Amino acid sequence: MDKNFEITDSTDWLDTPLSSFSVLETALRCQVCKDFFDTPMITSCSHTFCSLCIRRCLASDGKCPACRASDDASKLRRNWTVQEVVDGFSGARPQALELARKESEEKEDQGKGRRKLKRKIVDTDLEEHTSPRRSQRTTRSQASRTEVTPAHAEAISIEDSDATAEESEDEQPEPDDGLVPCPMCSKRMKEESVFVHLDRCEEEQKQDKKRAAQVRLSETRSAHTLPQHNSTAPQRLPQLNYSILKDIALRKKLQELGIPAWGPKQLLARRHTEWINLWNSNCDSSRPRKKSELLRELDQWERSQGGHTRDSAIPSVMRKDFDGKSWAQDNSDQFQSLIAAARAKRNQKKEGQESKDTNGDTEMLETRTGPPNAANTETATNSDDSKIAHDADEAAVVSRVIPDVQALSSIRNKVQAANDGVLVQETPEDASTRILSLNGNSDQSQQMTSVPSLHPGSSESLGMSPVKKIPMFAIPEEPVKDIETEQAAQ
Amino acid sequence: MATSVASKRLFHEYRTLTTDPPDGITAGPLSEDDLFTWEALISGPADTPFEGGIFPATLVFPKDYPLAPPTMRFTCDIWHPNVYPNGAVCISILHPPGDDPMMYEKASERWSPIQSVEKILISVMSMLAEPNDESPANVDAARMWRERRDEYERIVRDGVRKGLGL
Repeated sequence: MDKNFEITDSTDWLDTPLSSFSVLETALRCQVCKDFFDTPMITSCSHTFCSLCIRRCLASDGKCPACRASDDASKLRRNWTVQEVVDGFSGARPQALELARKESEEKEDQGKGRRKLKRKIVDTDLEEHTSPRRSQRTTRSQASRTEVTPAHAEAISIEDSDATAEESEDEQPEPDDGLVPCPMCSKRMKEESVFVHLDRCEEEQKQDKKRAAQVRLSETRSAHTLPQHNSTAPQRLPQLNYSILKDIALRKKLQELGIPAWGPKQLLARRHTEWINLWNSNCDSSRPRKKSELLRELDQWERSQGGHTRDSAIPSVMRKDFDGKSWAQDNSDQFQSLIAAARAKRNQKKEGQESKDTNGDTEMLETRTGPPNAANTETATNSDDSKIAHDADEAAVVSRVIPDVQALSSIRNKVQAANDGVLVQETPEDASTRILSLNGNSDQSQQMTSVPSLHPGSSESLGMSPVKKIPMFAIPEEPVKDIETEQAAQ
Repeated sequence: MATSVASKRLFHEYRTLTTDPPDGITAGPLSEDDLFTWEALISGPADTPFEGGIFPATLVFPKDYPLAPPTMRFTCDIWHPNVYPNGAVCISILHPPGDDPMMYEKASERWSPIQSVEKILISVMSMLAEPNDESPANVDAARMWRERRDEYERIVRDGVRKGLGL
């Protein structure tokens, strides 16, 4: 995260001697995005925000975020002064912050250094004591002078320059060049030429002023009106009333603007709004960007808020902090039934391929799925009579499916309930009969999956589903085919 | 992750909250991968029955934050007129200015993009101290607060003690 953008913040100043700069910096930041003003715009209620921020806010609820006065994007005006202040401050910020941090570091060093000095260098310690009226600053610089690390040397030189600047500001000494200033325009000249100059001075000044005004005028023109004079200067886009626009008209508008035009109408409207905000704020900017850059920004919006938001589409399973264990527990019965169904299918496939299988082969399969447990053997004996109708191969299939008795029985319950239209009660008495009947069904239940294969491509509605009419668990007359895998193969 | 407007702003707020946290409030994203889910800890304000308690809550931010407010839910049991039994906090700063069918909240108190997590948490802290019984989320708690203050405070204190594992 930090690699992509380093975030500066007004709190950076707090642990430096310039902590009051924090307030200044907060004032130079947009309250919506918390960043430095980017193309500041002033609202009709005199609040300033980034152009894009306030446009987005107004587009969403038409009110100033600060005072909630109703406003419209068309009433926004540029705030050049704030822009200049922000540019100036953000330009000076890194250096100033570095200095301030160095200062605070130095202070810490000083604290440690002084204690050391007290023990080691008694002279300086004494000096400090004997001159209590000296300002902290001088003692500090003196103390730091005793150490000769390059960092400190630098700090000292800066302090010195600071001091000279202060001096020059305070005293403003007259340069010793033998000239005198004109009392009117304070232009320096030889003493004898002052009187001659004074006669013309007023006139000259007027002319100068005029010239300066002209220059300034042309400057402002070039600075602020040039973009509009430019023939290719972008025009601000008008807002649309989406409610009276038809889908197709809106789509066409988006195509004309050269932005993506897919998705439902609501998304089109949102995208158009975002594009207007991006475009118009770019028009406000003194450093307009290319359309391709704006399109990239729109694409980013699309991914974070628009139609490409994957977050809503991503199931929670995809998240990093996903709790796999509890998920597995919650859905264990579903997983079990799916596994059972998959196994049954696989077995059927095998059956279909090798419809006349040898017993040895099936036995091998049996051992592969694990030894049948107590329930298995029980069901195997219980279902004997129902098995009579089937051949040995199918009996083997039954026992292969058995390992998931629980899951299967839950499915069977549901099937039975659906067939009878009555809920199956889970009484202990029922349990045994259920097992019996279910065991009878167990071989059928896996054939249930094959039922659709009997009616390939049947288009009957669910209401008159053949599954209900044909005995649900009938044994197919013809060898079972797995259409799904066949279709996949095609 | 696309560095959207919302995530940038959330990161800003996170920075401010870590370098200059207000008293009794700690908050930050649960993980750096998802800046849109935060956990916050609010300590019970002094001189109230909530004093001494630490109340954890989750904040979930919408994708168009800060245009829309986050939602806040206490993840502990808390008996308060403005907290739903499921922990959701009902406070005007968390309501967008658009929908106010009852008109019981002043527009100036509601969500606006210039509000922040810090302001929300401070508001919630003062809400703990001074419940607003005009629009109760937990009607039973509100009635108890109005009519049987002693019992209300006892339940709150019990909750605090339970929360601290005492």
